Amino acid sequence: MIWNARRAGRRKIAGAALTAGVLLSMTACGGSHAPASGKGLPAEIKLVSVNPTTGVVAFAGASANKGYQLAVKEINDSGLLGGSKIKLELKDTKSEPQTAASALTSAISDRDVAAVFGSVSSTEAVAMSPLAQKQGMPIVYTQAGSHGVVVGDYTYRATPLMSSYYPIISKFIKEQGYKSVGLMYTSVTPTLQEIGEKTYPQLAENLGFKITKSIATSATTQDFAAPISQLLASKPDVVAALEVGASNPTVMTQLRQAGYEGKVLGNSGASAGNLKPAGKAADGMVWPADFNFQQSAASSQKFVAAYRAAYSEDPLNYAAEAYDAAHFLARSIAAAGSIDRVAIKDAMKKEAAKSFDGALGKDLKWVDGTLQVPGVMVEYSTEGEKLLYEGTGQ
Amino acid sequence: MMSFYDSHLVLFQATFTGLILALSIQVPLRMGVFSFAGAGSYGIGAYLAAILVIKQDASAFVAIGAAMLATAVIGLLLGLLIFKLNGLYLAMATVAFDLIIGVIAINGGKTTGGSTGLYGVITDFTMSQLFTITLIALVLVALSEVGRTGRRVDAVRDDPELASSMGISLRRYRLTAFVVSGALGGLAGSMNVLVRSAIGPLDIGFGLIVLGLTMIVVGGSRSWKGAVIGAVIFTWLPDVLTAIGAWQELVYGIVVALAAVFLPRGIYGVLVDLNKGLQRRSRERHDPPPAAAEEAAGDVDPTTGDVRELALNEEAVP
Amino acid sequence: MQDLLSVVTLGSIYLLFALGMSLTWGTIDILNFGHGAIFMFSSFTAYLVLQQTELGLPLIMLIGLIVGALMSLLIQVLAFEQIIKRAKDKRAAEMQILIGGIGVAIIPLAIAQHYTKSNPFGFSKSTFKVNTWTMGDLRITNIAALSIVVAVVLWVSAAVWLRRSRQGLALRSIGVDAETAALMGIDRRKMALATMAVAGGMAGLSGVLFTFGLGAITPESGDTLLVKAFACIILGGVGSMRGVAFGAFFLAAAETVVLTQTSGSWVEAVSFGLIFLVLLVRPSGVFGRAEVRRT
Repeated sequence: MIWNARRAGRRKIAGAALTAGVLLSMTACGGSHAPASGKGLPAEIKLVSVNPTTGVVAFAGASANKGYQLAVKEINDSGLLGGSKIKLELKDTKSEPQTAASALTSAISDRDVAAVFGSVSSTEAVAMSPLAQKQGMPIVYTQAGSHGVVVGDYTYRATPLMSSYYPIISKFIKEQGYKSVGLMYTSVTPTLQEIGEKTYPQLAENLGFKITKSIATSATTQDFAAPISQLLASKPDVVAALEVGASNPTVMTQLRQAGYEGKVLGNSGASAGNLKPAGKAADGMVWPADFNFQQSAASSQKFVAAYRAAYSEDPLNYAAEAYDAAHFLARSIAAAGSIDRVAIKDAMKKEAAKSFDGALGKDLKWVDGTLQVPGVMVEYSTEGEKLLYEGTGQ
Repeated sequence: MMSFYDSHLVLFQATFTGLILALSIQVPLRMGVFSFAGAGSYGIGAYLAAILVIKQDASAFVAIGAAMLATAVIGLLLGLLIFKLNGLYLAMATVAFDLIIGVIAINGGKTTGGSTGLYGVITDFTMSQLFTITLIALVLVALSEVGRTGRRVDAVRDDPELASSMGISLRRYRLTAFVVSGALGGLAGSMNVLVRSAIGPLDIGFGLIVLGLTMIVVGGSRSWKGAVIGAVIFTWLPDVLTAIGAWQELVYGIVVALAAVFLPRGIYGVLVDLNKGLQRRSRERHDPPPAAAEEAAGDVDPTTGDVRELALNEEAVP
Repeated sequence: MQDLLSVVTLGSIYLLFALGMSLTWGTIDILNFGHGAIFMFSSFTAYLVLQQTELGLPLIMLIGLIVGALMSLLIQVLAFEQIIKRAKDKRAAEMQILIGGIGVAIIPLAIAQHYTKSNPFGFSKSTFKVNTWTMGDLRITNIAALSIVVAVVLWVSAAVWLRRSRQGLALRSIGVDAETAALMGIDRRKMALATMAVAGGMAGLSGVLFTFGLGAITPESGDTLLVKAFACIILGGVGSMRGVAFGAFFLAAAETVVLTQTSGSWVEAVSFGLIFLVLLVRPSGVFGRAEVRRT
């Protein structure tokens, strides 16, 4: 609960077209393709991932690290950085902001570290960003959807804000012909709070449906029976439940127990196996996500194939986001032709002006340091997550 | 080459603010007031300082001063409200106070930044200023442990009836405990937000109370030296434990549990005992005293002293 | 009406959880901060067993009960007894027990977090299926009904046992004056162990029922309940069996009202605010005995 809802991202770079693009840009920069010599890149480029692998958000941090490791291996094999190899160091934040800030400080003071992958957790990220910006350390986050994460030209977030792609749910609402929504959301995370308090009212206005009841739940709410009976008493066509990952199985179980049989509009926090404990009761929860391993983009499927080959499982959004983040950073370092942090920062700015194909989809763009994606609509069933449709971009 | 100091700057900062937080819980405890209100004051101080810096563009010292003043006053009011409570009841009331502060932070809308909290609290507050302020606070607290004040404080804690019969105003001492605890908590919170630049509701939750309490119980609850030991250990232990990987939380729990069970007077207590033991042994070697007298002397706990006697010696003071 | 039913269900969970804590706190002066961990870990153990073999409800409840009682005994013998033995006075012991409980609680939490990666876990593998009974407009699940019944039965038996039986008398006498009780030939250690085992068993049982009722819990669920249990105990008055029941249902009602009548994010303030208020107005709780020295 500590943390923000999960979202997904995808992007993958390994496409040949992309590599060519990178080569071009390197040439443009003066062709510092020569390995490890002179002012160019050192033989070993040190990157640090400061992410939680223990504690309450361990599942997301661990998954992100898999994405980073996969991308780093590809980058090293591809020769993108000439003869230089990236060495990725993993630092565990234990899901604590102070430990995260501490790990970042130690990375900053180590002149060999070229850049950092920031934490998936908003609370940790908010503690890290001012340090990184003030002391000039390029840092790319995944997840971390709150304000105060992207604070300047050193800070990037390779995960779209949920509020930016959540509106793709409109199509679903229209298709199903829902005229009213009963809404329940948690006030614990900034992301879900925003969806509940801003996105839904906006959608209601645009699509002309009515919000019959809106209930906020708190961090210590574990039993949702009371808010659910209130929601159902307002007789909505459909229920929207925006709760943190671990609460979703309970919400679905109790909704079904309360006699609600319809679909439930949720959020991607329900993914990553969180709904499994609810069994059949969880069938019919739908949510917009930034990534699903079934999405069609060629670059996404290439990532999925590589991920399966490496880890023998389907990738989660965290891994996809991390994978895109790593490739973005690698392209920037290649373009900078040095591990000087200012040079990397300038190169990131140029890279962020371009769109690219990655694990999260094709033609991905950066807006104000945050990645934008078309998004996908997913429905849960006990057999697995079903891809309903994909967003079209804008 | 990276210097150890630079790379562990955050931990140094956390040691200082953690120390003040620990003191804010230890000071009332030493006066027999089982109050955890220091953690709530920490939250108030942090938020207040952040708001002053962000909205009013206040300087670091103004923010810290205002935060301390406010938390001292709130401490006084809280003390007036609940100073009659005792023991675990008082503890629970102050825990409730702390947690309410957290709920207010979440529900404070734009003023407190809701669940995101406040960020971008940037001032010119430096490490040496942090160090100096911490040192001053530490010296002041240490002074209250020696001499007349120290003896009176011990008397108020160990034998309130006796103390009040000696004309020590219990009420005044207890209220002082609340005020000092409030000011120290506010100081710790405001300095922390100035060095960390961000504060959120999750930073001021129940974990904060547990952290402060763990520091003083494991370090030693009767002396500022115990708080120092505790602050150092529990700020650096997680960093040290990182080396052992996945099971670090488990080891952390075992360390806390073992310390709580086997070191009732904390690490500082053990050091005192060791020291005493050494002295006694060297004395015995030089000049073997009557065994009985030695035993009796050894039984007196130097951290508490025989308060009754010390207090009585002070009888001269009205 | 449905709301009333939610209140009763939620209240019975609070009661089941708080009952054990109240019992140990009120009689043998042990405020066990490890109670939440026992609650969670009993359920977690049942979950692990279910991964290996399919079980029905009675066996799962039995697992929860036994694991809870054993953990509680273990904590008592390894931690609390050692603390009491070493402590200088009662007040010091109280604080050491508080911290000891916190420290001990980290251990099962860390183990469960490690295996689940903090993802929720539930009993979907059990052969027991949760059904919903409908009576007119009212709906109640069989597990909710069971929770209510178990809570009430345990509460009544605990209260009757404390009041009527010789052991109950002995236990209460410890709560009032441990030394005199010892002089009168009451084996304090044995009584304490028995009380801890009973309290742990209750925690384990409530963990299992809670997990069934909600579909899933996370390793951190126990900690959340801990604060609520405090509120229940303080509200009703430490050591009072009537009090803890009053506290549990009152808190559940207050929370439900706040949740349904306001936007909801103030719910947490209810339990904390209630603790604070009751302590101010009536430090011994609504049903507390006038003045049992408890400093």
